[in-house]
Amino acid sequence: MNVKRSLAALTAAVAVLAGATGCSSNTSSGVIDTKADKGLAVLGDHVTYDPNHLVNDGQPIELGYWSWGDASTDPVITMLHKYEKIHPNVTFKISQVAWSDYWVKTPLSLKGNKNAPVLFNVHNSQDALLRPHMAAYDIDLKDLEADYTNVETHVVDGKVDYIDSVINTGNIYYNKTLWKQAGLTDDDIPTTWDEFAEVARKLTKFDGGKMVQAGFNMNGDGRYDGLWQGLNYQRGTLMFDKSGTKANYDSKATRENLRFLLDLYEKDKVGSVKFGDNSEQSFGNGQTAMIYAWGALQGTLETKYPDIDYGVFPTPTFTKAVPFAYDRYNGESTPGINVHQSDEQQAVAQDFIRFMLAGDDYVRTAVKLQNSFPGKKSLQNDPEILANPVMAAIKPRLDRLIWPGPTPSTLESSPKIAFQNVFQNHQNIAKAVAAAQAQIETDMKGSDFTSLERMYRHYDEAKQD
Amino acid sequence: MSAHNAAAERGGTAPKPRTRLALGDILSMRNVAVTVLIVYFAVFMAYPIFKAFAGSLHDWNPLTDTYDWVGLANFRQVLTDALFWKSIWNTAVFSFFSILFRVVIGLALAMLLTSRLVRAKDSLRGLFYMPTITPLVAVSFVWMWMFDPQFGMIDKITGLDISWLNDSKWAMPAIIIMTVWKDFGYATVLYMGGIMSLPRDVYEAVSLDGANKWQTFRSITLPLLRPTTLLIVITSLISYLQAYVQILVMTGGGPGTDTYTISYLIYDQAFQKYNFGVASAMSVILFALTGVLTLLMFKASGDNLEETR
Repeated sequence: MNVKRSLAALTAAVAVLAGATGCSSNTSSGVIDTKADKGLAVLGDHVTYDPNHLVNDGQPIELGYWSWGDASTDPVITMLHKYEKIHPNVTFKISQVAWSDYWVKTPLSLKGNKNAPVLFNVHNSQDALLRPHMAAYDIDLKDLEADYTNVETHVVDGKVDYIDSVINTGNIYYNKTLWKQAGLTDDDIPTTWDEFAEVARKLTKFDGGKMVQAGFNMNGDGRYDGLWQGLNYQRGTLMFDKSGTKANYDSKATRENLRFLLDLYEKDKVGSVKFGDNSEQSFGNGQTAMIYAWGALQGTLETKYPDIDYGVFPTPTFTKAVPFAYDRYNGESTPGINVHQSDEQQAVAQDFIRFMLAGDDYVRTAVKLQNSFPGKKSLQNDPEILANPVMAAIKPRLDRLIWPGPTPSTLESSPKIAFQNVFQNHQNIAKAVAAAQAQIETDMKGSDFTSLERMYRHYDEAKQD
Repeated sequence: MSAHNAAAERGGTAPKPRTRLALGDILSMRNVAVTVLIVYFAVFMAYPIFKAFAGSLHDWNPLTDTYDWVGLANFRQVLTDALFWKSIWNTAVFSFFSILFRVVIGLALAMLLTSRLVRAKDSLRGLFYMPTITPLVAVSFVWMWMFDPQFGMIDKITGLDISWLNDSKWAMPAIIIMTVWKDFGYATVLYMGGIMSLPRDVYEAVSLDGANKWQTFRSITLPLLRPTTLLIVITSLISYLQAYVQILVMTGGGPGTDTYTISYLIYDQAFQKYNFGVASAMSVILFALTGVLTLLMFKASGDNLEETR
């Protein structure tokens, strides 16, 4: 009896453990496809895709796809379903992994694991972790460059493992209701920071000395840590030195910009560190009139704060003249292909990538879901896309935006600490900036990162700060 | 010739034949349970500790398969890092005040709940214990919103205008308040058990000697509760030296680095910067620190107990 009980207990334990570890097989539930001629048109201008062929000889095959998003945020998922309809023998097994876990689980899983994904969502900030596991796209580079902007920034050894589907940068979001209440019109939209400060003062309200409405709010994540690079670029200062490996945070431009921002809070009194610790939430609740944010805010506002009537205008500059650059930009990356998976699976994955990049649907969906500007050249003048205020704000500045490459996270986290030390702990600006520079240098020891700022077409105009 | 027959011919006692019960004994639930526990301990405790010790001597990033011997370089880097020492200090402040208030409030409420002054003791005990069993992440979020200067109830109720989590003077006290609120129930329940098991005859004796309530509490109750206090202090110390969840949720270590604790710094190094070697070196130092402090407390308390006897 003991033996039976023990074996039963062990069996149950094994079953529970197997369930917990998510054991699964790669068996495909797809059907055999015998119809090569789908009756569909060839897609694309330079990168082309002819859907009228069999993939994997029409035999059933299953491919895993990992993403931190779902169908409402990740445009690849829509395309996977479209591809399954064209090639019914292909089944995609889609897994969502939380962002916080994704960057530990994915690189560990990709290494020779049969249950690892064949295709996976990529964020360029994690380039160093993913690149060793990625297969290069089997698409002619000239065709890619003809169809997509900024492909050259992703070329390594003459090949690309991913490119930008869409790009984004920062803008100023403003509350139209508060704008009208302050007696402001569209003519008051500022183009310089001086004009901005004046407008922000009009949008700030106090009740007995206590701020009840902030004209401009930069409290919380994604504000100064996202803004400092753009402000430095506006003054002609690069994020990295000429070698591209040493951060240039401790610069005259950084100190001047921190002083300028501090003056906005302490002299102009258009915001306060006491005014909550989440400017996005405060804007959504109608307590803040203006914030600096990237395109993703639009989605947040639509889902969390649908009643806010807001507008978007380009981030101001220090003078009316065209600056060295308006801001930093970043791209949403196309998926990666797992180089460790079988040749058959990689071949289907390559076919899917070509399908996705040749047509317009993927980029159109990305523009909509990620509120970002199309990386595909044929869509950059599309009237429907430019009707979106974020796209309209980005379009005129496209030529003067810089991508410094997949910069290490310390380039955001350390300046954020400097900002808090200056604004909340009243530390001397020079001291806070120097401490952040030291932290960045410590964190980047052993990093093989090299800035891509040298690839910016107006690079030679940069100041030597 | 079988062994059984050979033994019989030599005039010895034949060995007992193996029975099926032996297999049953081997696979008994007890043995299976012990084996599972040993395997669990080896896989989830002994191995990670060993791995951390080994990792502290390497430049280690498991995500890129980097594992290069660097000797004591990680320890040198950690011990010369100003942020490490600041985090140690913050951890000491956080632990000291959290333990102090946990013990004082826990003991005070336990005295109250075991006195004749309070009715509905079971309900109150359950009420006080509820925060202890609530997930720390959820509690941290709720308190973060309560501390918000724009819509949080703390400033609204008190009429204060403090940006608790964004002010370097108030951020750490705010985290301590939340931690004490969450954890005092555990101390209350333990102290209640301790108080109810105290010998009645001692109290009768001191009562006959004419001791007042304060003298009784100071000279009888407190010394007799010393083992309970020791248990609470040591478990709290181990727990608070490893505190990082509330920091992660409520302040992210800020403003600046004013609420960085040693465990938050380890988390930051390992899972934000993927610098597992440095994080392991910090973990080894924390491990040694916890061990030394625990031993010192046992020793100090043991000496006191001897003196009491």
